[in-house]
Formats: sequence, structure tokens, C-alpha cells
Amino acid sequence: MTESELFQRYRETGDVELRNLIAEQYLHIAAILAKKFVGRGVEYDDLYQVASLALLKGIDRFDERKGLKFSTFITPTITGEIKNYFRDRSRLVHLPRKVSELRTSVLRTADELTKELGKKPTAREIAEKLGVTEEEVLMSAEAGGVVSLDRPAGDDDMNFYDVIPAENDVFERIETHDAVSSAVSELSETEKKLVRCRFTEELSQAETARRMGVSQMYVSRMERKILEKLRERLQKSMAE
Amino acid sequence: MNTLLQLSFPLRSDLMTTVRLAAGGVCALKDIDFDTAEDCKVCITECLLMLKHRGYAFANVLFSDGDTLSVRVEGEGVGEETEAPEDELSLALLGALLGDVETFERNGKLFAISFQVTHEGSES
Repeated sequence: MTESELFQRYRETGDVELRNLIAEQYLHIAAILAKKFVGRGVEYDDLYQVASLALLKGIDRFDERKGLKFSTFITPTITGEIKNYFRDRSRLVHLPRKVSELRTSVLRTADELTKELGKKPTAREIAEKLGVTEEEVLMSAEAGGVVSLDRPAGDDDMNFYDVIPAENDVFERIETHDAVSSAVSELSETEKKLVRCRFTEELSQAETARRMGVSQMYVSRMERKILEKLRERLQKSMAE
Repeated sequence: MNTLLQLSFPLRSDLMTTVRLAAGGVCALKDIDFDTAEDCKVCITECLLMLKHRGYAFANVLFSDGDTLSVRVEGEGVGEETEAPEDELSLALLGALLGDVETFERNGKLFAISFQVTHEGSES
């Protein structure tokens, strides 16, 4: 059976045995390509595994009717998967330097105190020796080296990458926007006008005063009062 | 296009590492990120292997500086028309890793391959 016939048969039947046959026939490509990327910090076996999975995915996606040879089609597919693997591996959460240093100190001090006291020290004893709080000692103990963002987070299929909020969390922005809008809507018309001039149009206090026909001192006092009012309302709405 | 570095050497397997090291050095000189530099090294090795399969005894590798880093790998000597089965993979790999891959033939025989090392920050 020619390459084209084999793929055509597989496309028509979806027969797993045929897919396995194709995979066996082309597994050497996965091996060759995996070898090309050895020496970049990932073991050959891992690369071979990634390449083999990419081969299986590629078999399902390949359409022999497009006239491309499978080896020409699969090479960029496997290469892409290997490169993605390298990229994903760099997605590690590194501890802040301060926490990392404290963790090292805590471990060293724990060793020293064990010898000194003849027993394993408590968090309080370590904290006292290091001059930090007990919470800081406990926090550093929790922080164990680096954690991959691909590590499962909880029982469902989510990993850490999925659950860590983005720096500009769009939902948080919407919530904040809603809360501020609602707090501003309760202001008087004059107060609203001041907020618009100062915070939407970003005018200076002097320009705002000119626009509103009042003194700059008045704008300054009113602004302080408005901000206090808004802060109070936002705190109240957050507590609710 | 300015020539940055030109290497001429006998096409022997034991010299590949030296050529790869030189390629890494050129990439570092051009502030090319580590991953792209590694890809460039893989591509140069692939080109040299293709030329070796065709019986070339010597090779030239030319690094030129323009909007992007250009690399041209050329065989020297009498090449053969034979094509190793891995050559097809080599060319596909070149295309997958780096851009603008071109092959050049002389008397119907492949004698040179060129490609561009595009990376973040390069102008193309």
C-alpha cells in the first residue's frame, strides 16, 4: 500500500490499527528530530516522547489529498511541538529573592538550632534567632523552591497557569469600573463635574477652577471631600 | 550586506562542533536570543550534513549582516547527485526553524544553502 493509500484508508475508516501502522512507519522521524534538539537542557527521552505525540497528532491532521508528502508535513509539526515544549518548560514561578534567601537562612538556622538545643527547633525559636516573625518563617517553609505553572491546581483539570490572574485582570477591571461608577452616580451634579474635569479630562486644579468659575482653593477642598466620600462608599460596597 | 565571518574548512564530522561554536558566537554578537541561536546551529549542521552526503570535501560558511543575520553554507569540491533520505527532513527542518531557506544548484547538483536568522528585534 502506498503512503497516499494508507492515509486515505485511515482517513476513511479511522481504524486505530492503521494509525499505529503509520506511526510505526514514521516513528524514525520523531527519533531523528528529537536528537536534533538534544543538548538544550531536556533529556532525549522526553524529547522523543513529545515528538512521538506530535507524530500521532500529525497523522490525524494529515490530508494526503493536498499532495504534500507526509515527511514534509510532519517535520514542522514535530519541530513546533518540541519548541512549544521548550517554551512551556520556561514557564516556572520563581520565588521572590527575599523569600528565597529567607528560606535558605531558615533551613541553615534550623540545622544550627538542632545541634545547639539537641532537638528540632520550633518556628518561634527560628524566628527569634533570625529576628523575623514566626509567620515569615512559616511562609518560607511553604515556599519550596520553584513550582511549574503546569502543575495541577486542585482536583479538576486546571493547572496553576490557568488559575493565576493576569496582571490586568479584565474581570477585576470591570468590577472596579462598576463600583466606581456606582459611587460616582451618587454625587451631586457639581461634584460630578469636578470629577469629570479632574479625573476624566485630567485638567489641573487651576484649569478646573476656571472651567467651574470657582477658586482653586475651593476645587482642592471639594476634591478632598469627594475622594473621602468615594473611598467610604467603595469600602462599604466591598464589605457588602 | 556586510560579511561578519567566513569559515572554510574540510568537511569532517569532528569539525562540526567548532563550526557550531563559531555560529553561537556570531549570534551572541548580533544579540540573537539563545533559542534562535540554537536553531541557527541546528540549521548549519543540517546544511553541512547535506553537503557531506553529496561528497563535498570542503565547506564554506558565510555569516553576513543586514536587517537580519544571513547564513550561506557552500560545498567545495566535486559533489555528487546522490540524495540521502534524511536530506528531505533536513530541508523541512530548516524551513520549520528559520526563514527564507534557499538552495542553489550547480550542474544539477546541490552546492549551497542559505537562510535568514530572524529573531525578536530583527527588522524583517
